[in-house]
Amino acid sequence: MKNNIRVERAIKNITQAKLAKIIGVSRQTINAMELNKYVPSTVLALKIAQTFEKRVDDIFFLEDDD
Amino acid sequence: MIGFVLGIVLLTNQFEYPNWEINVFPLIGDKPGILTKNASLIWSKNNIADELASILLIVGGLLVVFSKAKDEDEYISKIRTESLIWATYVNYGILILAVIFVYDMSFFNVLIYNMFTILFFFIIRFHYVLYKTKKSLSYEE
Repeated sequence: MKNNIRVERAIKNITQAKLAKIIGVSRQTINAMELNKYVPSTVLALKIAQTFEKRVDDIFFLEDDD
Repeated sequence: MIGFVLGIVLLTNQFEYPNWEINVFPLIGDKPGILTKNASLIWSKNNIADELASILLIVGGLLVVFSKAKDEDEYISKIRTESLIWATYVNYGILILAVIFVYDMSFFNVLIYNMFTILFFFIIRFHYVLYKTKKSLSYEE
């Protein structure tokens, strides 16, 4: 699974630390997601989408091998 | 920590010192006889220093292993679970090697250590992975 959290962050101009604080996770979690090392739970994905005021599938995409 | 120190003291003194003998009630033991110590289901005397060391070490280890990180979230929980599985594999891998290559009393010593190494391997691996993820943060932004 891929995501464009980094792009959305850039659009909203917030740092990893700030985003982590808003949705109540550690900075490592945000970082690991942006590096595609971690697939977030549905709850976390929904929270991220809510923060960016977008739909979940505008931020997270399936890849061919999923 | 106390358990760790007591364990070291016991191992270096062949389990004879400190000698805190109290009455114990073995659930499983040898057949009762004149020479058998600690037969099953009969009150008998035993030095409890090694039992005490084991309990302190295990309880202390479990407290370290399962206390939550300061910012525990789902990613850190996942690292925790992975580390526990990893520690189990490594622990049994080493045990299998020991079964093949270690014999007699040395193998008994391996078994003593093996009671605690799973917790030890977990702590090492969990904190190593946490440290690595923290370090990769400094390259961002």
